[in-house]
Amino acid sequence: MAFAIELLNITKGFPGVIANNDVSVHIKEGEIHGLLGENGAGKSTIMNILYGMSKPDEGKICLFGQAVEFQSPMDAIRQGIGMVHQHFMLMPDETVLRNIILGWTPKKGICIDEKRAVAEINDIMEQYGLKVNLKAKINQISVGEKQRVEIIKALYRKVKILILDEPTAVLTPAETDSLLDIMRRLKEQGCTLIFITHKLREVMDVTDNVTVMRKGVVTGFGPTSEMDITKLSRLIVGKEVSTKIPMEKFHPGDKKVLEMKHVSTARRPGRMPLKDVSLVINEGEIVGVAGVDGNGQTDLGEVIAGLIPAESGAVFLDEKDVTRDSIRKRRKKGLSHVPEDRLKTGAARDCTISENLMLNMYNEKPYSNKSVMNQKEVLQTSEELCEKYLVKTPDSNYTIGTLSGGNMQKVVVAREFSSSPRLLIAAQPTRGVDIGATQYIRTKIAELRDSGKGILLISAELEEVMAMSDKIVVIYEGEIVAQFKRGEADEYEIGEYMLGSKRQEVLYGN
Amino acid sequence: METNIWRKRVNGAVRAISRQLCMLVVAIVIIMVFLAVSGYSPFTVLKGLGRAFSQDLSGTIRWSTPMILAGIAICIPFKAQVFNLGVDGQIYLGAIAATWVALALPENSPPAALILVFLAAAIAGAVFALIPAVLNVYCSTDIIVTTLLLNFVGQFLTEFMASEVMRDPEKLTQVNASKTLPQNLWLPKLSAFGNSSANVGIYIAVAVALLAAFLFFKTTHGYEIKVVGSNANFARYGGIRSSRVILKVMALSGAVSGIIGAIEVTATQHRLIASFNPGIGFDGIVVSLLANNNPLGVLISGFFFGGLSNGGNVMERVTDVPHIVTQIVMAIIILTISANITLKHLKRKKEAGSK
Repeated sequence: MAFAIELLNITKGFPGVIANNDVSVHIKEGEIHGLLGENGAGKSTIMNILYGMSKPDEGKICLFGQAVEFQSPMDAIRQGIGMVHQHFMLMPDETVLRNIILGWTPKKGICIDEKRAVAEINDIMEQYGLKVNLKAKINQISVGEKQRVEIIKALYRKVKILILDEPTAVLTPAETDSLLDIMRRLKEQGCTLIFITHKLREVMDVTDNVTVMRKGVVTGFGPTSEMDITKLSRLIVGKEVSTKIPMEKFHPGDKKVLEMKHVSTARRPGRMPLKDVSLVINEGEIVGVAGVDGNGQTDLGEVIAGLIPAESGAVFLDEKDVTRDSIRKRRKKGLSHVPEDRLKTGAARDCTISENLMLNMYNEKPYSNKSVMNQKEVLQTSEELCEKYLVKTPDSNYTIGTLSGGNMQKVVVAREFSSSPRLLIAAQPTRGVDIGATQYIRTKIAELRDSGKGILLISAELEEVMAMSDKIVVIYEGEIVAQFKRGEADEYEIGEYMLGSKRQEVLYGN
Repeated sequence: METNIWRKRVNGAVRAISRQLCMLVVAIVIIMVFLAVSGYSPFTVLKGLGRAFSQDLSGTIRWSTPMILAGIAICIPFKAQVFNLGVDGQIYLGAIAATWVALALPENSPPAALILVFLAAAIAGAVFALIPAVLNVYCSTDIIVTTLLLNFVGQFLTEFMASEVMRDPEKLTQVNASKTLPQNLWLPKLSAFGNSSANVGIYIAVAVALLAAFLFFKTTHGYEIKVVGSNANFARYGGIRSSRVILKVMALSGAVSGIIGAIEVTATQHRLIASFNPGIGFDGIVVSLLANNNPLGVLISGFFFGGLSNGGNVMERVTDVPHIVTQIVMAIIILTISANITLKHLKRKKEAGSK
């Protein structure tokens, strides 16, 4: 069978790291090819090379047997290669429709033929069961929807080869299943798909062949049927990992670390406001929030952290009213917050890793004294944190923008976990993070809980919520519609509440 | 490790400047062609610049002072992604305040009273810069537009003060100027250059630049400024109030601008003249950009621009090239250098996009 793509002996270096070292990948026509590896293994780098976004230092690319050289993504698109990025490449202030047709615009004279575009896109949406409101602005839609826009965008360009860079990281289980279906349907129609992920179940489910990378080199490849989960994890991390999180027996303290009483938030464009949310988190307890993306999770995290005001109701931290307190005051009172969007909120790209780590401590001794920073202490602590939280970087003076997504998240986690919080809001803490780091972050969250902290875990991954939480609340359209203790409900039952087909009545009071 | 960072910073500044020097060579070649075509000797430009940096070093120092300070006034808010295009207006306000205080002080005040004069100028500049900052923070007006427009307010206010309110009634021929300041309130000249225009202002400029560098690299204020400039969302999430940082950087920038006004009045003009400012504020933008908004780099690029400025004047004096042509020559230099900066930025953007 012919190879659709051959990447031959690709080498690519960035300052301080070799991202790809003599990497070869062979992808057959009409297959779903899984590309696996931890964050920083070099998966995104090799795909960016294939997509024409960066050029290899050495090696060549063959497309259907012919050597090609891409100067830019436009060249790649013209050859039928589409890519859905991990960090979406959309214009926030434009409509979904305009984002989709950008650079591929049907014209009527000198005007944009929107009618034709809409008709064509509706056909695509129907054919593949992808639904998005074409008139909405990008900054008004959820992360899951943005991804669908990216996929439609690629389909609209009639790609023959589609690269999906960690597409399921941001999706709910149901959405993931439908994406996998879409991928199968695309394959039936002769598309070749490259599926970058580190979720092994999905790989086993949907791929025909896999290539595994680690630290910039290929550690294994072959048909999926000859692989199993243990073998793959060994290839990915170099050793077997246990997926169980060590946690002590549930022993909540008496004190309420967080209490929300009838909190509502104001309506904002593109956001689901909270309606009369009441919630209690005790010492030594993890409360997990399950829900489909865009049902008020963002407002929930931000109203507790103080990023948005509560329109009505009250928030108590350690049994003290903090509803009117500023963000800094809340942080001083022991609040930590891993925000859901690390690029927009969790990190400053142009600042160094060290500067990103210092956000909560820069104005405290010993890091500064009467406004004068102590660079030595700052650097020492930064280096220690990088080492402790396994951030892969030569040193902490590099800008954080040079790190891969997972490593960036480790920096955010290092900063928020190390400030010895009373309450930790962890919003999507393991989104787009590799197996090793996910395991590590979860273990750290469990450690915090065992040492008597309260944790609010907001995650789009139901599996994560169920594995970690002592109490699960389900959020639907800004309201808490159900509450379970660990083990009281299985994922199917929770799923029904997540989709709004069921709701419990009395919820507040324990 | 710490010394490494400093070495990195200084190296960065030096490298940025030396790259610009190469562009200067390109600019000079263009100018020589321009002069030859226009019928002047193509070597006049070299003669002027050569003299500015050798025989007439004092003039270069005199012009470096405002250039360095204007560069600092631009780069402080720029780090927080705030664009103060109103440096010129703030210079005018500083000059008015300095003149006012200097004339209001008793005739035989000791030179130490200059501190009061400078303080008044800094405060006036800061207050004038806070107007657009407050409007921006509380009414979300565009700070670029307001600062730019306030330049005219500053300029016409100076004209009004010089020709009406503070006008010297005894000198009927000099219409648009205030009374001359008492001699003991003149900023001293640099003794090494004898009777020249080089003055102690250069020490002030260097001190301000070093202070700005300290502020940026060594204090929590500098950290906040950088964080706000790099990602305002991130700053807010960490509990930093961007509005306070904006007010802070604008006040500092205005104070530095005010000091320029005070130096121009006390060291060079010795009175308030309506049109003493040849657009130093806008030169400051180029000075700051040249140095990649690094205050240590501004020291070098400010000195370099002082030389260019002075070179233009010298060219006028030693050759038969008319004033307007030297202005065109200056413009060519500035355009070439800023084109290089723009190209570099575009290239970096493209690289960032391809990552």
